[in-house]
Amino acid sequence: MHVLIVEDEVSLAKELVHFLSQEHYKCDWAANGRDASEKIAVNLYDFILLDLGLPDYNGLTLLQEARQLEHEPAILILTARGSLEERIEGLDLGADDYLPKPFSLLELQARMQAVLRRKFKVKSSVLAFHGLELDSSTRRVSYQDTEINLTKKEYDLLHYLLLHKNRILTRLQLTEHIWGNILEDDYDSNYIDVHIKNLRKKLASYVSGEWLETVRGVGYRLIQ
Amino acid sequence: MRLQSKLTLFSAASKIIIFLLLVLVLPPLIHKVALHNTDERLLQKKEQVLRIVEEQGIGNFIAEGDNSAYGSYNLLKEEFISLEQVPAGQEVNSIENSLRKVEDEVVDYRVLSLTFQIDDQTYLLEIGRSIATIRESIDILQQYALIFLVVVVVLTAFVDLAFNKILLRPLSLIIRRLQRIGHPGTFQPKQLHTSTKDFIYLNDTINSMMGQVQAAFLKEKEFIGNVSHELLTPISILQNRMENLLADPETPEHLLVKLVDNQRTLHRLKSIVQALLLISRIENEQYLKNEAIDIKTLAEEVAEEIRDRAEAREVELSVAIADDWTLPQGNESLLFTMLFNVVNNAIKYNRPGGKVMIEGRVMDKAYELCIIDTGVGIAAEQLPHIFSRFKRLHAPDGESHGLGLPIVQTIAQFHRIKLTVDSVPGAGTTFCFRFPGA
Repeated sequence: MHVLIVEDEVSLAKELVHFLSQEHYKCDWAANGRDASEKIAVNLYDFILLDLGLPDYNGLTLLQEARQLEHEPAILILTARGSLEERIEGLDLGADDYLPKPFSLLELQARMQAVLRRKFKVKSSVLAFHGLELDSSTRRVSYQDTEINLTKKEYDLLHYLLLHKNRILTRLQLTEHIWGNILEDDYDSNYIDVHIKNLRKKLASYVSGEWLETVRGVGYRLIQ
Repeated sequence: MRLQSKLTLFSAASKIIIFLLLVLVLPPLIHKVALHNTDERLLQKKEQVLRIVEEQGIGNFIAEGDNSAYGSYNLLKEEFISLEQVPAGQEVNSIENSLRKVEDEVVDYRVLSLTFQIDDQTYLLEIGRSIATIRESIDILQQYALIFLVVVVVLTAFVDLAFNKILLRPLSLIIRRLQRIGHPGTFQPKQLHTSTKDFIYLNDTINSMMGQVQAAFLKEKEFIGNVSHELLTPISILQNRMENLLADPETPEHLLVKLVDNQRTLHRLKSIVQALLLISRIENEQYLKNEAIDIKTLAEEVAEEIRDRAEAREVELSVAIADDWTLPQGNESLLFTMLFNVVNNAIKYNRPGGKVMIEGRVMDKAYELCIIDTGVGIAAEQLPHIFSRFKRLHAPDGESHGLGLPIVQTIAQFHRIKLTVDSVPGAGTTFCFRFPGA
């Protein structure tokens, strides 16, 4: 998977490149619009992460350029300005998704996968673990043929853990994924613990052994 | 009351007053004038008679001897002239009303009496005009005057009305344009075509002031955008760097806990920046109000979203919407945030076994949505400050940034929702949102 990161902020680009490389993406970086424009004309990227606020270029112009490419790369807009007009305009111009900064790298990866699945119409949307199956197209979790009844939040939580299996997810990362779109007064990690407890209880009769590790003072890790 | 109505009313009232005054004053006035005219005429006639007497000699009218007199009156007894000899020493020169008997009929006359002497003889001249005739002419005069008055009053009233309307048209135009402005951003300066300098000045002033407001709004929008970018970019870098460190297998375990602490602190910073940006963006009118929002659906969505938190804290959450109602124009995601924050507080500052009720009903021509809890309550001296930014009332965890309720208030104001809070410490708090125009 070949990704172009268009980002004028060097430190941020570095973190993105580091993270995506670890996840086995092949990354190119363009620090300005001209560079990006040249790169997309030459290389066949599968994915373009586009910061709209570029020093030399209108990000939306670049978006239009990328839209005209024949192989139709997936485009995800990343921006810290976050004005509503910009967001609507970006999506109208054909971006596949929009992620306001600051975002979690895990959220970025989840969104990228969702975009790719949608874009390339991946049939198999089933994730398997410990004999259980999670189907993200129908939002169902089942054991053999038995459906396990999960609340919306429990499902979202399990899906996120599974997408980032074998990695420690902090309570904050999980909270942001579940309630991230709601701006609230404070952050209470207890609610995540309650959901995890319920999730463990519901899956206990189907999964033998430890499938979810609690990392003391840090968070949770789904083991596979 | 509108200026035009006031002017019209005033002009109509002043005309009616003038009219009434004239009706009162006119009869005595006309009477006086008519009398004056009659007297003038009598005096003129006197001069004429005296001249004729001088020319023709008194002998032509009065024969020598006693009790001789001359009299003349016209057929309808409107006027008479009489000349007679009177004893010497009598002297009269007056005009007054008196009754005279003419052909067995007593008639009220205005009579000029004058004595004069010719050849040592004294004569009395009397010229009379019947009062009835005078009164008749007075009546006719009065009638014409009244008709004329009515016509003038009505005519000028209509002319005034039309003139006021034309004169005030530019003002109505300015007012109509101002009424259409929901937000300074939608104002478009327009020239006014009128010869009234005051209105042109008013219009130009409004145009220039609105221009300044618009410029300030635009500047603020730009500033918010810049602040957003400049503050969120470093936060973004830090957040992603910490995530990479957390994911790095070479990071020692004891540092992971520290990293999680850092993540929390950074999250707090991020929340503050985002909350302040949200408030500024709402105040800068960057959000649209173009969705019809069903209050029942909204309340149920919030309850659905938050129910697990209530369960986690063993708080019973109920929704009772008695009357269904739709807010014609609003921003759903903002209203969701508003309601979510209040309900979240109601759950957070509650006790196990407590209750949170979301109730909606039509009250006094407005829709009222109340969130009632049986929580710890707010002390009376703290109530006035709960919407102040950065005031943390409870915050036992120290994670709260104190911007939750200011956000709630800002969103309510943006939608012209009246927000009231009642609280009894130890018993609970009630937040009520009164939506306009139900």
